[in-house]
Amino acid sequence: MQRLHGNNSFSSGGERALPFLLLAPTLLVLLALSIYPLVYAVRVSLQTGTGAGARWSLDNFTRLFSDGFFLSALLHTLVYAVVALSFEFLLGLLLAVLLNQEMRGRSVFRAALLVPMMLPSVVVGVVWRLALNPNFGAINGTLKSLGLNTESLTWTASPRLAFLSVIAVDVWQWMPFVFLILLAGLQAIPQEPYEAARIDGSSTWQTFRYITLPLLKPAILIVLLLRTMDLLRVFDQIFILTEGGPGFATETISLYIYRAAFRFGNFGYAAAMSFVLLIVTNAISLVYIRLLQKQETA
Amino acid sequence: MLKRPLRLKTITFTFVSILFISLLSASCGRDSGGGGKQLTLAVNAGVEGDALKQAARDYEAQTGVHINIVEFPYSNLFDKELVDLSARTGAYDLIMLDDPWFPRFAGEEYLADLMPLYKKKNLAGPDDDFVQTSLALCRHPYSTGTLYALPYLGNSQLFFYRKDIFEKHGLKEPQSWEDVLQSARVISEREMTGAPGGGRLYGYVMRAAQGNAAVADFMPIFWAFGAEMFDAEGRATVNSAEGINALRFMLELGKSAPPGYSSFNADEVSAHLLQGTAAMSINWPAWIAAFSDPNKSKVIGKMAFTTMPGAAKPGQAEIGNWLIAIPRDARNAEAAFDFLVWVTSAEQLKRSALRGNPPTRRSVFNDPELVAKFPTYPVQLRSLETSRPRPRTPRWNEIENAFGIFLSKANSGELSPEDAMNQANAEIMKIVERK
Amino acid sequence: MRKDFVTRILRYALALAAVVVAVAPVYWMMTISLKKEIDQFSMPPKWVAFNPTLAHYADAFGTRSFGQYLLTSVIVSLLATACAMLLGTLAAYALSHFRLPRRLDKHFALWILSTRMFPPIVTVIPLFLMMRDVRLLDTRLSLVIVYTAFNLPFVVWMMRGFFGEIPRELEEAARVDGDSRLGALWRVVLPLVAPGLAATAVFCLIISWNEFLFALVLTQTDAAMTLPVGIAGRVTQYEIKWGVMSAAATVAMMPILVFALAVQRYLVRGLSLGAVKG
Repeated sequence: MQRLHGNNSFSSGGERALPFLLLAPTLLVLLALSIYPLVYAVRVSLQTGTGAGARWSLDNFTRLFSDGFFLSALLHTLVYAVVALSFEFLLGLLLAVLLNQEMRGRSVFRAALLVPMMLPSVVVGVVWRLALNPNFGAINGTLKSLGLNTESLTWTASPRLAFLSVIAVDVWQWMPFVFLILLAGLQAIPQEPYEAARIDGSSTWQTFRYITLPLLKPAILIVLLLRTMDLLRVFDQIFILTEGGPGFATETISLYIYRAAFRFGNFGYAAAMSFVLLIVTNAISLVYIRLLQKQETA
Repeated sequence: MLKRPLRLKTITFTFVSILFISLLSASCGRDSGGGGKQLTLAVNAGVEGDALKQAARDYEAQTGVHINIVEFPYSNLFDKELVDLSARTGAYDLIMLDDPWFPRFAGEEYLADLMPLYKKKNLAGPDDDFVQTSLALCRHPYSTGTLYALPYLGNSQLFFYRKDIFEKHGLKEPQSWEDVLQSARVISEREMTGAPGGGRLYGYVMRAAQGNAAVADFMPIFWAFGAEMFDAEGRATVNSAEGINALRFMLELGKSAPPGYSSFNADEVSAHLLQGTAAMSINWPAWIAAFSDPNKSKVIGKMAFTTMPGAAKPGQAEIGNWLIAIPRDARNAEAAFDFLVWVTSAEQLKRSALRGNPPTRRSVFNDPELVAKFPTYPVQLRSLETSRPRPRTPRWNEIENAFGIFLSKANSGELSPEDAMNQANAEIMKIVERK
Repeated sequence: MRKDFVTRILRYALALAAVVVAVAPVYWMMTISLKKEIDQFSMPPKWVAFNPTLAHYADAFGTRSFGQYLLTSVIVSLLATACAMLLGTLAAYALSHFRLPRRLDKHFALWILSTRMFPPIVTVIPLFLMMRDVRLLDTRLSLVIVYTAFNLPFVVWMMRGFFGEIPRELEEAARVDGDSRLGALWRVVLPLVAPGLAATAVFCLIISWNEFLFALVLTQTDAAMTLPVGIAGRVTQYEIKWGVMSAAATVAMMPILVFALAVQRYLVRGLSLGAVKG
């Protein structure tokens, strides 16, 4: 594999500056739009009170530990991310393997599967609020016309079902993304190992386990990394679907941060919570990146 | 490598040309302003904002002042206004605000004092025709302080019920919450197939989604049972015996409500009433007009409206007025003030009333033409004049949020009424005491 | 033979089920946009036969500003995608085809990715203040800038993968022929990664087209609002205008849907050429 070019045979003075010139605009844009917000967030998170009454303190951070809402929102977020990611990954992998095989109408199936991923989250929230309404929604309506009793299927209205419902909606919207990346990953696998396996007489499962999965690993890691980062800060759909309710059952950390910042005008506390989220996201992402880099050098 | 380089080229070409066109038009994104005066007005999306929009068109035709209306959904309007006002962008010349937000905006001095503007026009101030309880909301501190806004829309809760169903079962218009509960049980039991299409007709429907919704629908019960949110020293008292009893009663009532009501918001409650699947509810009068709209309603001519039932205490509705204020940093405060005085005049409020919005002036409530058209106006005026505001505190949003979460949890069966109220009380104390 | 037949049926059944689940809710929403209010929630739900009306579309586009929102959405997402693609591709090329001193290339790549990890809910307020100070609030330009920054990390990471797959010999051959470094990039490397470029651009377009939070906070009037903000504006307090909202949502998703489905083949093939390879 030739990706990084070591001793560049035709380096000159201008050549050495070139990569920096190419990088400069990107680095500048990202610096400008991320450093200031970061500094700002650090500053306000270390202040309490507003206007003239503002003073420096660590109150916003100590408050984190005694805030039951914050801790349960954090817990919700983690559970949400783990459950949604597992389903998205398993279903996405299954469908990617299925639709990687020759079958009639394959491209139609593939295209139709990608639809949810392309919708604005706002629309997704609307669609599902419409479908999940316990009394007028399409889902219960359809079940009822099939003769099922839907009395207890209140979806977003009962705490436990609500949590499952928002997860199901996330899976519905983002499983196609996992499917797409894994399908691309499958297509990138060369044919030779499969032919060798056929000659050896390996079973389908063995082929999958010992050839497909290892070769698919980079694609798997990338898709898990991107999805994890997004799942940990999930906001739009839940905001429209349940606004965190019933009670506090579907409140994720991003929703709670939003509330603290915009509803209660308590930006310092919102920033303090964001740093916790940032640390969690960073820690998890680093694990994936390590694995990816190991893969690259292996 | 590429099977169809041509196609890619076409795509690239189209892309680049669209890009070029959009580059040209991107720069025209901002309003040019230009000649003539211009006002920007942030309103709530919905019936309230729609009426204001039409009034603005009239004003434009009369005076030539262009009014730019921006609509936001209720759940974003406060956020939007808070950010824009605190950052002093001056983007809005007038803002529409829900009355519980007022103490926060006024307390942070985000709004313009209206008295100097009155003086400049040689006017004495707001006249006595405004309903007292409405005008009191516009002063900071409540009722006695500086005037920072004018009331535009005089909502106070009304009790809605299906008079045809009540007659059918020989029930009388409910006077007390106990009556409500008994009637709700009767209707839920006897109307198993009473809804259009053969579904079940529920006795009562309410909003118990966390936040604003649960709290708004609970307050009239809470107050009627003799409970108070705060004592004279400002300590939280929601877990008093009266408070817990009120919540117990709410759960009892919930047994006659459609399943899942603990996540209902105004739209679900409205849908139940319009589809004829619920018989009673607390709702805002701005919604009355929808019941006679054949495109929406299956219960035309079947709804009746009355004042809030009582219990230990006489019934009191919660007031929920929409106010209009001028941000301190508005670019055209004087022109904005002219519009504000014009739009809250008796003549304009009458027009707004004809568009479905309850007024804030007594003379308009008593206008014979309007009373003929809206027979509920005397009831509404009575309800408004005896209504109660939510506690006037700048932290109301946060308190309401916490309180609403525990109410919703109790209604969904996660917590017992005692636990819910105790935990709510502790949480509210934390918010009040925080510096 | 028999077993083969059964697995084939199973395979089709599974694929079909997945497609129905993916598409049915969207179809349902589209029927709502064509139904009169009174039919929208009637039970049992009407999936096919109902009296269609175009009133909601007329309401959405005739009397409200959705036409303008649509224009803004098109302009903003195209420009933001173009800017991110241009800057990001150059940066990715630098990171993959040059070795920088002190492993700076690795550090830069990681840092670029990490800018995506900070929750947008917190960056939105400082960005709002920044835009206020440079007088860009309520302009399409502010959204273009923010979405560009949003998409950059993604573009850099994707394109770095594609560039990494290009054999270095090809580029060197071009240079021997007398091309400059950038000339070789333009004439030789870019055409090779074209499917990758297309796939990445499609993702950027989707993300910019659908973004909600920044569009809500950074705009103040209809002048710069995008479609998602306009749709959310139909959620009124007393009633959700399902008809108008579904109509607007249908129109909002159509362009991106048609476009993305049209290039769907390139999407899979493009991605398979590098981003997901070891």
